[in-house]
Amino acid sequence: MSLAFLSPVAADDVAIARSPMERMAKAAGAEFEVRDGWNVAVRYAGETAERTVAWADVSHLRKWEVEGQGGEFGVARREGDAWVCPLTSDRALVIGGAEPSPTALDVTCNYAALTILGPQARETIARFCALDLRPQHAPPHSFRPGSIARQPGMLVVEAEDRFLLLFGWATAEYMWTVVADAATPLGGRPAGIETIETIEATEDTDA
Amino acid sequence: MSFLLTCPNCGTREVTDFGFGGEISARPTARPSLRELGEYNYFRRNVAGVQREWWFHRSGCRAWFIAERDTVTNEVLLTELPRGPGSPESVA
Amino acid sequence: MSRLPPQPGERIDRQSVLRFTFDGKPVEAFEGDTIGSALFAAGRRTFSRSFKYHRRRGLLCCAGQCPNCIVAVDGAPGVRACVEPVKEGMRVEHLNAQPGLELDVMRATDLVGTRFTPPGFYYKTFIRPRRLWPLYEKVLRHAAGLGVLRKEQADREWRTEYRRRHADVLVVGGGIAGVAAAKQAAAQGADVVLVDEGQVEPVPGVEALGRATALGYFDGMVPVWQGDTLHQIRAPAHVFATGAIEQPLVFAGNDLPGVMLSGGALRLLERYAVSPGTRAVVVSTNDRGLEAAARLHDAGVTIAAVADLRASATEATRALQTRGIAVLQNHTIVAAEGGKQVTRATLGGVEGGNGAAVGGNRAAGAGGNGAGAAAGAEVSFECDLVVVSGGFAPATSLLSQAGARTAYDEARGHFVLADLPPNVFAAGEVAGHADPDAAARSGERAGRQAAGGSPEDAADQPIEQAPTAVPPPVAGQTHGKCFACLCEDVTAKDIKLSIDEGYDSIELSKRYTTVTMGPCQGRMCQLASIRLMAQETGQSLQTVGTTTARPPYISVPMGALAGRPFQPAKRSAIHDRHRELGANIKWAGDWRRAYDYGDPQQEALAVHEAAGLIDVSTLGKLLVRGSEAGEFLDRLYPNRFSDLKPGRIRYGVISSDAGRIVDDGTICRIDEDTYYVTTTSSGAGAVEEWFSWWLADWQMDVRLTDFTQGLAAVNLAGPKAREILGALTDLDCSAEAFKYLDAKHATVAGVPCLILRIGFVGEVGYEIHFAAAHGEHVWDALMQAGREHGIRPFGLEPQRILRLQKMHILVGQDTDSESTPFSAAMPWIVKLDKDADFIGRWALEHYAQEEPAARLVGFTLGDGYVPTEGAVIIDALGAPAGQVTSARFSPVLDRVIGMAWVPAPLARDGATVAISDQGRTVSAHIQTRPFYDPEGEVLRS
Repeated sequence: MSLAFLSPVAADDVAIARSPMERMAKAAGAEFEVRDGWNVAVRYAGETAERTVAWADVSHLRKWEVEGQGGEFGVARREGDAWVCPLTSDRALVIGGAEPSPTALDVTCNYAALTILGPQARETIARFCALDLRPQHAPPHSFRPGSIARQPGMLVVEAEDRFLLLFGWATAEYMWTVVADAATPLGGRPAGIETIETIEATEDTDA
Repeated sequence: MSFLLTCPNCGTREVTDFGFGGEISARPTARPSLRELGEYNYFRRNVAGVQREWWFHRSGCRAWFIAERDTVTNEVLLTELPRGPGSPESVA
Repeated sequence: MSRLPPQPGERIDRQSVLRFTFDGKPVEAFEGDTIGSALFAAGRRTFSRSFKYHRRRGLLCCAGQCPNCIVAVDGAPGVRACVEPVKEGMRVEHLNAQPGLELDVMRATDLVGTRFTPPGFYYKTFIRPRRLWPLYEKVLRHAAGLGVLRKEQADREWRTEYRRRHADVLVVGGGIAGVAAAKQAAAQGADVVLVDEGQVEPVPGVEALGRATALGYFDGMVPVWQGDTLHQIRAPAHVFATGAIEQPLVFAGNDLPGVMLSGGALRLLERYAVSPGTRAVVVSTNDRGLEAAARLHDAGVTIAAVADLRASATEATRALQTRGIAVLQNHTIVAAEGGKQVTRATLGGVEGGNGAAVGGNRAAGAGGNGAGAAAGAEVSFECDLVVVSGGFAPATSLLSQAGARTAYDEARGHFVLADLPPNVFAAGEVAGHADPDAAARSGERAGRQAAGGSPEDAADQPIEQAPTAVPPPVAGQTHGKCFACLCEDVTAKDIKLSIDEGYDSIELSKRYTTVTMGPCQGRMCQLASIRLMAQETGQSLQTVGTTTARPPYISVPMGALAGRPFQPAKRSAIHDRHRELGANIKWAGDWRRAYDYGDPQQEALAVHEAAGLIDVSTLGKLLVRGSEAGEFLDRLYPNRFSDLKPGRIRYGVISSDAGRIVDDGTICRIDEDTYYVTTTSSGAGAVEEWFSWWLADWQMDVRLTDFTQGLAAVNLAGPKAREILGALTDLDCSAEAFKYLDAKHATVAGVPCLILRIGFVGEVGYEIHFAAAHGEHVWDALMQAGREHGIRPFGLEPQRILRLQKMHILVGQDTDSESTPFSAAMPWIVKLDKDADFIGRWALEHYAQEEPAARLVGFTLGDGYVPTEGAVIIDALGAPAGQVTSARFSPVLDRVIGMAWVPAPLARDGATVAISDQGRTVSAHIQTRPFYDPEGEVLRS
């Protein structure tokens, strides 16, 4: 028997995959586009580039569990579009990009995800997470599994002031509430993935 | 109680990140008497001092590991991954 | 009005007038005033009524240390007026006095006499007659406690925040030493946080938190309360520069308004330009008290008398003498008298003392510790202010929490730091460096070390300070009440009484009298109570020792500790559909679940008559892979899975090594090396931990992946289920092709699914598992396809009815930590003929031989009464003999059914048992076979 049932890839384009934060994003004014079979919040009404902190639903990022790939603990390797995050000495979580190998286990829907970015991102996360994210202790590419808002989670420091948070799919509505509540008083607002892509492109150019 | 533990996979975290599995005790290898079985199931040494014990990184990698901790001071002397059957902590 | 002309360094802005109310009456203040300074300037002397005797209390420390000025601000109780800045329009109210501060009826407790409220009064007095306790309780509840929480508190717009902060060095205390430590640590490159209860000057490169109180020390984590934020600061090294706390003296009437610590009087004068009084009597054990007298004199306060407990004059004495003020050496105060405030103070001689040596001798001398103090001729002075200084005790509370040890210093008459744990440093006055230069040097040194640097130089020996006298534990007891503890109204006599009654250790006496347990947390009373204990028991102070310092260091609103009001909740990927359908949504473990959609009975009937759809995404779902996966499961379950054929499903019960039922679920073999294990919803996390624990130990070739949240699951059940499913998939769903306990992989409505044919609810049923991202899509497709067949969504409650009809147990509901597979009527699940060992084997071998005392059975009831879950099964004599675990009305059977633990001899068809429930007794008929479809014909069809 196949393990295809684990994967959010539908056999036809009738079934559109949905993030568990879709309702929250919609209520916050998100505009959606279907991308690779996913209904994705691409932008928000009135969204501007200027921000202290923003959060974006990136639950549609594909995730795989791969065996036999460890790596340096606490460090996520960038491989193409993917982050390879070592969970144990012989097991890693691959976030984003294409399927890394035919034996990789599709765990996309085990983890919902938010990107939190901006100069107040670290301060926002400090409101609900005890991880030490000071730059000297968690430089870019750091990988930190640990408690996020009292739930099991994982955090990738994607760049200076930019963090990728992973948490259980079923806890997503709660997480959105927590993140929005922490970020809003600091001037935060939700962002669509177009914003993320723009920043990514800029960073690539800078690099 | 708010001490730190170092998960062998993930690094140092607040103790609230972890689940406690209790002191390491040896599971009987041969058919035990009722008394031996009862002692294994219900009796604990409960030492005041250094103890080897199980911890589970519940909020992180969700792996079990072993810690040596002073139960009086909560000083954690070491943490390590279990070494499997035949090792001192093996209950099999 | 007692506002003075501008004072050098005053902290008020006389141009900016603020207005607030106290007990409804308007009060004016200057910007920079505290509530306390403004009220005092406006003439108020009584700030609170005491806890037990409702005596008047006034400003004492003016530093937020004592309990005397605690008020409510804008409805929130527990605010210290003396340090709380005035804000325009704030509403300040007194606490603990009815009807008002100036006339308090509970004052009777003081006037009637001390006999009325000794320690242990409640326990001694209100134990009989017992039947009157409800009445007593009502009165006592009203009399106890300080302040009232507003009823509308829950709706209050008050945002509190947690903030985690990691630092290299945390410095507590922003005085000379603390600032020096922070600067030095930052200069070494450390990431430094500096906190202080008061305003703190900015320090470059340091995060300085002002008006922020460190609440305790928890294994390196220090919670710091700052307004609406609770900073949780974790640092590997700490510098405590917490200073010293001026101690009061214990004498008759020492709690009267107008009795003030020297530091308090000076703060009023220097910071707020408020004269603390017009005519003062000053009593001191040390130079600082004498210096305060000089400054009050210079500010225009008449100094009526000065008593110095020391025998010899010092520089400070001579400074007073040059002002024409005489100092009575070897004298102390024995009584303060007055009505609304102090009007007279009586001084008396101290027996034979000479400065510091007095205390030393007393501490060592058994029984004679201060006894007979203040003998000799007494002299009285009219005054409206008594300034006392009983010495400065190091504020070691946080350091003690961090593991520091203290030792009694006989020369200084208080406890000093003796031993510090690694990476904990003390600087400034708390470490004995009262001199400003020495304090700064000790701060630099501590900061350097905390930042990982070497100490570089040897620590300064504390500079020789002018001697200080050790005051007698109590003076003037014959004149009236002498308070050791202001917070809890504990007198010197109360402590003596507690010792007489056998509470002769400081920790016991503390618990009995509640001394040190009030809002001041021992700042004002710890040393006093130890001295009294030493005197009464004849022990040295070192032997008596201190009580354990515990957090919180200051009273803190519960709201600040609680943080934001969010509770983690799990929701299925289909949750929004349940909301839209108007489901009754409740907590089920850590999930939010649809209990029903308005009519559980009809929902259950729909499953029997047409089809029902239930969201079972909450089930635990584990993928177990590897060459030894089958053997692994054989070791974890009492039954076998290595011989399960791919594409087949088997029920499993997990047992502990004690043979008790831990969880249950279905296991499907997907292929040779892959199993799909479902667990109960509530047991999902525990089973995953259980599996990975044994795997960590056995180290088999097995990999576990938890898909509980990643997969949605629905159960489509009922006579029309086959047809509905068939419309959405190419799979042959016929009874022949897709048998009971078969598992198939197929596309349903375009989504790849694992379909398990199982029968938890007793009708033909398909449990469909698929990626959570498609939750709503598959749900919608099934509801759409089922519409013409009369499909209904059903919730957890109808599912419970349906499963009860089949006597399918709910682990944790029908079983408890005593239940075994044998007693729970599932002996067939235990395969003791397995060759290999498995968890629980030895215990189960034992239980297989033994008749259990109680067995789990079904029962029916005739008269329509549904017993409460937990109702008691009683035996012929009316004694408890078991309990009901589940009971429901079954609409399809049209009667009440249930499950219960009954004595084993009664666990047979046809037996009757009596159920005692809510005052009635009903007779139930035992049934051991399922109530609905006992042969499983419907299920397998």
